[in-house]
Amino acid sequence: MTDAKALRRIRLFLFLAVVLLVVAAFADHLAPHDPYLQDLDLSLLPPGGAYPLGTDRFGRCVLSRVLAGSTISIYTSLAVVALTFVLGTVTGLVAGFCGGWVDTVLMRITDVFLAFPVLVFAIVAAAMFGGIGGSQFSGLTGAILALALISWPKYARLVRSQVLAVRNKPFISAARFSGCSKADILFRQILPLAIAPTFLMMTADIGTMLLEMAGLSFLGLGVQPPAAEWGLMISSGRSLLQTAPWVIFAPGAALFITVTIFNLLGDSIHDYMETRFGKGD
Amino acid sequence: MTGFSGRHSVHGLLCFLLAGLVSCAIVLAGCGGTKQAANGEKVFRYGTMAYGVAMYNAGMNPHKSYNGWSTIRYGVGETLFRFNDKMQPVPWLATGYDRPDAYTVRIRIRDGVTFSNGKPCDAEAVAACLRHLVKVHERAKGNLKLTSVTARGNVVTLRSSQKTASLIHQLCDPYGCIVDVSQDLQDDTKVIGTGPFLTESLTPTEIHLRRNPRYWGGPVRTDKVIVKSITDGEMLTMALQNGEVDAVQGMPYSSIVLFEGAKDKFKILSVPTSRVFQAALNFRTPALQDGRVRAAICMALNKQQFIHALLNDNGYAAIGTFPGNLPYGGSKVHDDGYNPDKARALLAEAGYKDTDGDGYVDKDGKNLELRWLTYTSRQELPLLATAMQGYLKKIGIRLDVNATDNAGDFLKKGDWDIYAKAIVTAPTGDPQYYIANHFTAQSAHNDGRYRNPAVDALVQQFSGEFNPERRGQLAIAIVQQVLDDHAFLYASHLRMNLVMRNGIRGFVPHPCDYYEVTKDLDVTGEGR
Repeated sequence: MTDAKALRRIRLFLFLAVVLLVVAAFADHLAPHDPYLQDLDLSLLPPGGAYPLGTDRFGRCVLSRVLAGSTISIYTSLAVVALTFVLGTVTGLVAGFCGGWVDTVLMRITDVFLAFPVLVFAIVAAAMFGGIGGSQFSGLTGAILALALISWPKYARLVRSQVLAVRNKPFISAARFSGCSKADILFRQILPLAIAPTFLMMTADIGTMLLEMAGLSFLGLGVQPPAAEWGLMISSGRSLLQTAPWVIFAPGAALFITVTIFNLLGDSIHDYMETRFGKGD
Repeated sequence: MTGFSGRHSVHGLLCFLLAGLVSCAIVLAGCGGTKQAANGEKVFRYGTMAYGVAMYNAGMNPHKSYNGWSTIRYGVGETLFRFNDKMQPVPWLATGYDRPDAYTVRIRIRDGVTFSNGKPCDAEAVAACLRHLVKVHERAKGNLKLTSVTARGNVVTLRSSQKTASLIHQLCDPYGCIVDVSQDLQDDTKVIGTGPFLTESLTPTEIHLRRNPRYWGGPVRTDKVIVKSITDGEMLTMALQNGEVDAVQGMPYSSIVLFEGAKDKFKILSVPTSRVFQAALNFRTPALQDGRVRAAICMALNKQQFIHALLNDNGYAAIGTFPGNLPYGGSKVHDDGYNPDKARALLAEAGYKDTDGDGYVDKDGKNLELRWLTYTSRQELPLLATAMQGYLKKIGIRLDVNATDNAGDFLKKGDWDIYAKAIVTAPTGDPQYYIANHFTAQSAHNDGRYRNPAVDALVQQFSGEFNPERRGQLAIAIVQQVLDDHAFLYASHLRMNLVMRNGIRGFVPHPCDYYEVTKDLDVTGEGR
């Protein structure tokens, strides 16, 4: 693949991702109806007319709920990715820069977290943290914490390896000899270089976190009813698969499209980096 | 770009073959269907949500937990009396009874009844069984309060420390299944009852039963019964559709429509039950100590709409505790009905108004927010919870729902304002069980700590009343007072459905939900 072709792919998927983020940000204004307004007289209307994607069993507009769900699903996934990035980066930076027993202890802690099966740990942690906060979003806080706790180790390892590669470079020694403080060297010299590869990982992780968040909500460990979250919508509509399939297909399709766009964005950035810088660099 | 190489072609071929194998496995796994029984045996396969560890009935020993429900449901055990369709006790292993005094009952045991191991089920065996029951089973001990159980001839005499007005009814409870206590009751496969089937094997998810060749009640038509616990509604539906089972209990309401349209292959048998979906209001919550707020909550629910839209008409709007097919239930009591306008007026009268325009009423700067606690093992309860969020929002109350299988923990900690559950209100055909357990200051299941001395006095009077008509009148008065106090919200009574293929005969639901597998169960090939 040529650079130009790779760049075009990045631009395309970045554009689509931005469209998703904008739609999620303005979902309240785009939704044709109140996503939480129940009217049992309008229960399970098929798609058409005033309800383009039909209604669910409580008479709520499915399209409005899918749009409202985009806000919850996409932005909580971004929050999880941001949290794992911060946790992992700080850990990796400190471990790689300090070395010695600090590095050993932090990496052993990382190993412990890496040993857990991801979903099992997330389920247990979400159940433990589920009571934090109030109302229908208490489960959401727990789910975010759970996923962040299980996902930070890979960032820590990546950043640590980058720090180890950079810390003995001549310009770092020069900075040290010129009297720069450790904090200065760490955050102004090493950090920008160490976190560059993590951006690629973050892009790919958005899709993963979307699916895991939906999985926790599907299991009843994420947001609680009546919150409009895609995983919860799929879970609560399961028994309607044969009689009112639109109730599941709409959030399922939204999840599929969103995950695909972010995954393809990550792939296109990866392809560009390979094309531009080669595999060994 | 790398060119095509031999290594790539082998790799591609292997991938293709692997994909083909996996596809074949998936297709073959999907090829289910009814397995033909060996030697022309009649085998009945039954999928149910009502059996399993979560239901506390994963066993066959009736003297343990709620296992008696499995013992009696699946034809292994029988009780001295059983309920007819009107929930009146009629003779079964017994032929009749009399009461020499208010604290004693003499029960005549039927001649010719044998256990499945051939031993006679006589008065001595019945007495031994009942003595063992009240020794080891806390609920039975508390309900029956037997002080002595003796046998002479074919009569068993029971003496109780309380008046025996409802004793015969209580002996119909599944824990009253008569089993041979000289056998090992710890091994579920060795529990010996008098029923048409005996247990071949039992796990928390499946029971295999075989015909009892010595059944005293006559020929048993079916050779083998397999009971499968299927806890997912969609799986239950598909199991019946693809022939993996012959009948199911607990099918989601949204799936029943699929079978209503396939009358050439399936039939649905329904019966009203006394199971009610109710919500207890917590009198420890400051907002709920105001009767006007409680009344508003009760008036907010549109029961008919809830049943029609969410239960697909598989229910009956509840007014009070007991359903209309009981002489003291249904419209014998009255409530305020669905009246959201009046509900809003009552809230305003109680000082709750939407002063900040956010759609929720508030008082002293704080929105009226309540916590609804329930569990998920009954499909109706999460539906009721979500529906109530909408109904209460319309009158300005914000409702947070906690639907969890750990509801018991939250209940104990008091982390709730309204607790919804499903309960059989007349398991013994008599209102005693529910009234005694829910309405008084000492009641074990008075979760909301409802207190009314007038109700306590009525319950006391009720407990000592033997005349059935007078008992009914007292039950009506008690429930009416509870409704007037708005201590409980009764949403609907369950209409229980058994969905089965047309070839199944003699498998009929009963209002008490105790009797399912009987000697009359028959299996033909119709509907396969």
